[in-house]
Amino acid sequence: MIIKKYDHNYGRRQLLKNMAVGAAAGVLMPLDKLFAAGADLAKAYPDEIMSIDMYTKGKINTGDYLTADNVDIVKELLDPIVFDQIKTMGRRIKIRPTTTDFSVMFPAEFHAKTIENMNNGVTAIFDKQGNVITKDGKNWTGGLPFPSPKTGAEIQANLAMSWGRADYNQYAINDTVFNPDGTKAYDYEFIWAELQVQARLDGTVFRNMKDLLRFQTVYFTSTQDVAGSSFLSTWYYDQAKFPELYGYLPQFRRVRQFPTNQRFEPLIPGVTWFLSDPWAAGDPMLTWGDYKVIERKPMLGGFNAKWNGDDENWRAGTHGGPNGDTFWDTDYELSPEVAILESKPVGYPRAPVGRRLAYIDMRNNMYCGNIRFDRQDKPWVNFETNFGQYKLGDKVVLGPDGKSPAWSWINIHSFDAQTRRMSRAAHQKENKGGHKSEFSFDHDKAYSRFFTQQALQRLGQV
Amino acid sequence: MDNYRFRIAAWVMRNRLIAVFCFVCITVFFAVGMRGLTIKTIFSDLLPKDDPYVQVFSDHPNFGNPLTVTVMIKRTTGDIYNADTLRKVWEFTRAIDLVPGINHDSLISIATEKARYAEATPNGVDMRPLMEDTVPSSQAALDDFRRRVEQSPNVRTFYVSGDETATIITAAFLENLLDYDVVFSSVQELAAKYRDDNHEVYVVGQPILTGWVYKLQEQTYMIFGITLLALVVALALYMRNIAGTLTPIICSSVAAVWGFGLVGWISAPIEPLLMIVPLLLVARSFSHCVQFSERYYEIYAHLKDKRKSAEVAMGVMMAPSILGVITDALGIIFIALAPIPAMERFALFCGFWAICIIPTGVFLISIVLSYLPTPRNIERLSSQDDTRGVQALQLKTLRILAKCTHGKAARVTTVVTALVGVVAIVIAMRIEIGNPVEGSNLLWEDSEYNTAIRAINNHFPGVNTLEIILEAKTRDVSNRVARTPEVVRVALEIQSLVENDPVLSPRATLSFADYMMEANRLFSGGDPKWLPLDPTVSAIRAAGTAVVFGTNPVNFSHISDYEFQNSTISLWYKDNKQETVDAALASAQHAVDKVGADHPEFTVRMGSGTIALQQAMNSVVSRYHWVILALLNLAIFGVVAFAYRSFVAAVIVLIPVNLSNFMLSATMHILGIGLDINSVMVAVLGVGVGIDYGIYLMSRICEEYSEDVGWASAITTSITTTGKAIMFTASIMLLGIMPWYLLSDLKFMADMGLLLVAIMLINMILSLVVLPLLIWLIKPRFATRDDLMVGESIDLSIFTRQLEEVSEVKNKVYPSKGNVDLVIN
Repeated sequence: MIIKKYDHNYGRRQLLKNMAVGAAAGVLMPLDKLFAAGADLAKAYPDEIMSIDMYTKGKINTGDYLTADNVDIVKELLDPIVFDQIKTMGRRIKIRPTTTDFSVMFPAEFHAKTIENMNNGVTAIFDKQGNVITKDGKNWTGGLPFPSPKTGAEIQANLAMSWGRADYNQYAINDTVFNPDGTKAYDYEFIWAELQVQARLDGTVFRNMKDLLRFQTVYFTSTQDVAGSSFLSTWYYDQAKFPELYGYLPQFRRVRQFPTNQRFEPLIPGVTWFLSDPWAAGDPMLTWGDYKVIERKPMLGGFNAKWNGDDENWRAGTHGGPNGDTFWDTDYELSPEVAILESKPVGYPRAPVGRRLAYIDMRNNMYCGNIRFDRQDKPWVNFETNFGQYKLGDKVVLGPDGKSPAWSWINIHSFDAQTRRMSRAAHQKENKGGHKSEFSFDHDKAYSRFFTQQALQRLGQV
Repeated sequence: MDNYRFRIAAWVMRNRLIAVFCFVCITVFFAVGMRGLTIKTIFSDLLPKDDPYVQVFSDHPNFGNPLTVTVMIKRTTGDIYNADTLRKVWEFTRAIDLVPGINHDSLISIATEKARYAEATPNGVDMRPLMEDTVPSSQAALDDFRRRVEQSPNVRTFYVSGDETATIITAAFLENLLDYDVVFSSVQELAAKYRDDNHEVYVVGQPILTGWVYKLQEQTYMIFGITLLALVVALALYMRNIAGTLTPIICSSVAAVWGFGLVGWISAPIEPLLMIVPLLLVARSFSHCVQFSERYYEIYAHLKDKRKSAEVAMGVMMAPSILGVITDALGIIFIALAPIPAMERFALFCGFWAICIIPTGVFLISIVLSYLPTPRNIERLSSQDDTRGVQALQLKTLRILAKCTHGKAARVTTVVTALVGVVAIVIAMRIEIGNPVEGSNLLWEDSEYNTAIRAINNHFPGVNTLEIILEAKTRDVSNRVARTPEVVRVALEIQSLVENDPVLSPRATLSFADYMMEANRLFSGGDPKWLPLDPTVSAIRAAGTAVVFGTNPVNFSHISDYEFQNSTISLWYKDNKQETVDAALASAQHAVDKVGADHPEFTVRMGSGTIALQQAMNSVVSRYHWVILALLNLAIFGVVAFAYRSFVAAVIVLIPVNLSNFMLSATMHILGIGLDINSVMVAVLGVGVGIDYGIYLMSRICEEYSEDVGWASAITTSITTTGKAIMFTASIMLLGIMPWYLLSDLKFMADMGLLLVAIMLINMILSLVVLPLLIWLIKPRFATRDDLMVGESIDLSIFTRQLEEVSEVKNKVYPSKGNVDLVIN
């Protein structure tokens, strides 16, 4: 006879209680203690929220696919737009086991830096304006500012201070846009490059630019009509300031400055996502507000998703939708504790957005998706992102340290639930024409290649 | 009486309980089907699907913004450049974004970030919203705002009026989320909220028009109710007994349930704009029932036995009733020849309903009459002598009419009829096709909606557009056809040709090339000399990319599709009068011919927009008006010739109904009303119903005529008996239709009502005058035969004798029981 220590709903009840009292993550013990100790996180949670098999009492098991036939069983564990896709659009998602090893849930350097901070007593606070600083008043020095977040703002800061959790990231991306009838409307390829100026893992301030947080450039390599065009966004450390946004069109040899507060238009014509959406932190943190954790519960999501290393260009297979190619083949796992973070675009008096809900995995403080609601509070567009280690069997892509597997986003679904258009993006090895994804690259070279107005003009000449 | 009609009648009455059971089962079946009933307007289904313009519209429904609501805020005391007006624009823009179903990306006004101005800077271009994050309030801010508007040519043309007193807010709605009622009521509420002494707010667009139609549906149901009540009251006053009043109600209700049930089962939505026709069917069903009941009472007056009288009435009335219903149904069914989906569904629905009047108006009615209590006023109803009040007046009128149709008076009547006929035909042939109203023809000219349309037309390029579509031959994501040199060349050439048309030039033209030229200018430093585009692939691509980067393709959905493959050239014209429509189409066609329709990557297709669609509606009328009438005539000719076994009979009944059509067209022409789809429907319904009168009257004349009686006497008797019923049924239909003209705020309904009233009235008079006159003049031989299918003559003495014999037998066997049910073969 097996005597269960806790009843089936204990974990969920305790998460609700923790949220009410503002407790840190973890049910049976604080998660950050295990994190700092490099221990297995399974000790922090009861079994029934660590395993989909137990959670559903065997109705859905690890290795099964979520389909229209069984998805109702786990409706409360899914982003509502994903639920709708499975229920009505033929999407299928494979269930993988819940990950309990912290070290595979971060880029190795970021993980190490965060533990180092914790061990050295380097902790973050908000200054009067709401920007993240160390407790001795310096700008944040890298790693997770709040490894054990207790408020919505702390969770948001964990997302906002370093998007890709590395000092330099260069993603080769394909973004395909599907019409409601399943036909392809757009099929872009571009390079997304981001360079941290501060909050860097190497502890430096890039070129001593102390007023900046990061540079970010989007450079189009196809289709032919947009190839050579680019955008440069320069982010201030002060999260109340709008980033500068410049566009470059090679044929005109002119830089176009965009309104800094224009965040609710697609950067690229046709895609469903706005600049606001990526990383659940696409806008400066303090231009949004009312950050509030409205729920903490177990959820299914693309946490620690499978990297498609067996494909030459790292692309997953596709399925579903009218033509069988609307969705990436993805796998989801049950995270024992996900914070649903609500925020509102308080700094944008004309925003068409009412609020945003972001689903944050408390194991690594990374989002797996966010939903933008319109001002009528109807779900509008989601931005589902699958993250994971770039390792599959003996195939591995190394991260910046040249030793550990890289960790990054793998693919994205951004679905407009109102117009029924899908933007489906892949982090791929390289774009047509040879532009590659990079995890390790000389930062000075990257700066002169991507992050100045002259750089944009040079890129356009290539 | 041993013919098949009487055998059927006898069988039905013998098994009347089984028959009742069958009727109940079928009615329950259709009543259950009514759960699937939907009544809604689908505008695209009101267009002729085989018309090339409609096909272009169907292929490219986005061009011309069909799901866009346009709001005009007009300052009545000065221009819009003041804080009060701009705050209203800001608040209205924010508020309309909360209306369910809106496509947030499509919302544009001078208060949105999408309305931008551009300034060339030393390094490039700075594009900024016209309005910053707050409404300008200081004089300096207002002056700067005005300067920004002036630097934005597209905003200046399409979002701020030439006199600077009005500005526009446009918001498109998503078809899958659109609820017309909600959009209509929400936007109207906003308009009411933001109107004041200094501001007028006008709201137009397809969703608003649909909202009006839906709102007026409630009124339609009220008129429906009033009409039904009026019909029942008229029936009760005429019959003055329960059976006579209740019978038509029961039979008509059963037919209605069957009709509605069918469309419920097959899930075909009913077009509410055509609901007047079902009402006409109720009236037709009532009149058939009245004809039947009157005959039943005549028979009952002789036989004094309900069941036997019902059986005999069924036998007698079966053929003329079925023939009458078939002609009604043919009139409805032939409407389906016009390839308009709403009309096709309607023809199925109403045609089936009309056919249902056969079982209900022949079999069910007999059974109902045989069960209902015997009216006490049968003698008076069946008598021609004991008449008072309305009936006396009716008889007097009919006797005067009868006198005009025979004897010496017939010569004068003939001459007058011939003259009127010739004049009517001559005038009718001059009738013009098309009945344009500025705005929507569904609503009155002074309606709120059409007033708003006029106001917007007076301040902006307006709503009367002609779209010339540049349709890509393939959809390739790496080749945006709408942004290629050839499309730009063709678009600009067409625009230039129509703008320089010597007959009629549009108020404004717009193509995606215009946006590209503007982008080219801005990105090249701002000098107007950079407006022209280099005709190279790279230059056009660059200009296209310059337009769309950092924006949503939805912002250009009025002019290009989401993928920039298909695009349109929009031409705005001053109005939609027929001469404007003709000139605009000729001008556009000339331009298209000149540039050629076929190009390697795309085809130039004429056309869409209000101008082209209006032409499509006119074209379907001119194409099908005569065809439908001719085929209907042919079908009725066949049916009547078969029934009377005479071609002459068919000619005699068709002449009055066709003459009444010509007279209606002539009247419309004199009143300045053009021929449109409403009048086509009225014409065919008029023929169907009008032919009924002819059949009833001609059958009676045949019945009454014998060499002894003579033509004059037969005609007089027929006009004063069957003519009386005709007059009553025509009156009851007029009563049913008249409220639609008097009460409906839907011009479409009112027009239909007026035209139907007119044609019913003309039909009634002509069938009471022209038909007997023709018989008097022709003296047809078929009238002398006694083997006519539709002959109503019957020797009731046969039944009287049979009844007496059976009664005697029964009295001998069961002396105390008196009369019992009879079975007579």
